[in-house]
Amino acid sequence: MISVRDLSYAFKIGKKEKENVIPVLHHVDLHVAEGEIVAIIGRSGSGKSTLLNLISGYIKSQTGDIVINGKQVSKLSESKWAEFRLEHLGFIFQSFQLIPSMTAYENVELPLVLKGVSEKDRKDQTLRMLKRVGLDQYQSHYPGELSGGQQQRVSIARALILNPPLILADEPTGSLDSENERELLNFIKELNEKDGITFLIITHDHEVASIAHRKVEIRDGYLREGSMLYEVQR
Amino acid sequence: MKFKDKHRFVKSNMKRNKTRVWMTILASTMGCAFLIMLASVGFAIHKTAIDDVMSYRLMNEIEIQKENGPLVEKDVKNLEKIKNVKAVSRKKYVPASEMSLGEYTVYAEVNSANIPSERKAGLQLEKGRMPKSKNEVIIGHHFAQELRKEMPENFTEGMSEEEAQKKMKELAYDRDLLNQTLTYHMKVDQPESKTDAEIKTVQVKVVGIKEKPKKEWMIDSSVLITDDLRDEIMPLLSEMDPELKNNDDSYSSVKVYTSSAEDVKAVSEKIKDKGYLTYSVVSELKELNIYFTLFKAGLIFIGGIAVLIASIGIFNTMTMAVTERSQDIGIMKAIGATPKTIKRIFLLESGYIGLWGVGLGTLLAYLISYGVNFALPIIVEQFMNEKPPEDFILSYIPWSLTAIAVTICMSVTLLSGWRPAAKATTVDVLKALRRDV
Repeated sequence: MISVRDLSYAFKIGKKEKENVIPVLHHVDLHVAEGEIVAIIGRSGSGKSTLLNLISGYIKSQTGDIVINGKQVSKLSESKWAEFRLEHLGFIFQSFQLIPSMTAYENVELPLVLKGVSEKDRKDQTLRMLKRVGLDQYQSHYPGELSGGQQQRVSIARALILNPPLILADEPTGSLDSENERELLNFIKELNEKDGITFLIITHDHEVASIAHRKVEIRDGYLREGSMLYEVQR
Repeated sequence: MKFKDKHRFVKSNMKRNKTRVWMTILASTMGCAFLIMLASVGFAIHKTAIDDVMSYRLMNEIEIQKENGPLVEKDVKNLEKIKNVKAVSRKKYVPASEMSLGEYTVYAEVNSANIPSERKAGLQLEKGRMPKSKNEVIIGHHFAQELRKEMPENFTEGMSEEEAQKKMKELAYDRDLLNQTLTYHMKVDQPESKTDAEIKTVQVKVVGIKEKPKKEWMIDSSVLITDDLRDEIMPLLSEMDPELKNNDDSYSSVKVYTSSAEDVKAVSEKIKDKGYLTYSVVSELKELNIYFTLFKAGLIFIGGIAVLIASIGIFNTMTMAVTERSQDIGIMKAIGATPKTIKRIFLLESGYIGLWGVGLGTLLAYLISYGVNFALPIIVEQFMNEKPPEDFILSYIPWSLTAIAVTICMSVTLLSGWRPAAKATTVDVLKALRRDV
């Protein structure tokens, strides 16, 4: 599903030609199989978010290759990356990243709108998805009118609406209380088991990492493989 | 992303900043209205000038003169041979103007003409028919009102102009002149002519009355007689003034009429090649059009400055919109919105602002134009005690001006929205997600 080979990344800070180069990732190799839940753990500043941002295409890789779903994505243009993201990836963010001026319904519907799905189909799919995350009663609520847990469920509904095979989650429970956290983790497990969705989760929370089949630790930009907990079921 | 969804998206964004958007639309409206109004003054002056020229002459009419001497029958035959010449109207002046009907008398401009040529040239009658025999004549539309009883001495003394005109009207012939017989007095107009000679008369029948001139202030009291009648009366007149014998064959006016206005240029060239002097309304209009096109272009340029100022407002509004929505843009990009989609959304927004501005501006300009044209003559009459000319307009907005203004305004609007829209595509996803923008 994901294959990262010899990926290095360094931030350049300061003016051109006088910039400071701060290496973040060093020759990272990572392979995530289809149907896996992989947790990338590490301390703050270890480079785990940078790795996820590179895999998401939010920052452009400098060296190394990233292949997702058999597609070499590290050399894609911004437009092609955007199209690829819309088609193949779902995102769950720590701070939900919902558009405040849009209702829960509109936020969930957004990927369908961007993809150009007809209004009728959009309505069916969006309402079904809201029902699935238990928010069909809140469809016309704005994010500001929802609790943290509800906002995260809207965010998950948005991530799932186009049925992506892979979901990238950045500290998904970071803004949730323990009850909502438990609910979310159960939901992720359910999605993985029932729908076969692959998850790559960035976290420093051991509770979250506990649902992963495999844990990968990043320390000072170097990747260290943890114990294999899962065997890919064919 | 479908256009309908972009429209919905833009609509909801515009609703969120109603006041700012409406202020920007107002600025565009003012700019557009100013551009149209300013240029409409140029268009109005151009129209008035053209209407003025056209009211005297026809588009397919070419006046002919000869450098050395008057035009004669040979010249007319020569002109008639030219390709695309529809008719050659030739008139000979008859230097006797007095006509009477009972106690009513008029001094009219009398010309003889070749009636078939006049008919081909487009002479239109209000009633009656063309002359068929020698003593039949056609009179101008206002002939009857000039045919008056003799005015007593000091008749209008002490009267205001209005009263005098009213009194004069009472003296005018007030019945239909068609089929009436007039007495044509063979008296040469020049004062030095022999006044003691016996004045002979000829009876002429009115068989046709010419159409009313297009301009209301034009008075046509002329008389058109046949060439045969002229040939009969000229010897009588020459007895009084022997000088007239010398010019008997010459035409006082020769005009060539082409099949269409497009032929005027080519026919004029051919006539010039034959050694004649020509003058046509087309050549006058060409000069006039060049001058006024430059004048109008200048006004549109000045008006364009107002549109440019309004466009700064649009630029500002759109830049603020992009800045305010950077986080939303970032989220959309993070999900999978392409830069092209983002750019189109913002271009659509500035386009809508421009469209509203252009629509309202054009409407406002039409209203002001109508109001100015309606009110200005009243104001001039009230405060300056002068009546402006009947067809006077200060502002004229043809479709071409509307099209020019809409094109300029929309282009400027889209250009001013282009940079903010391009800026929107460069919003950094990570910064936006971190709320760092």
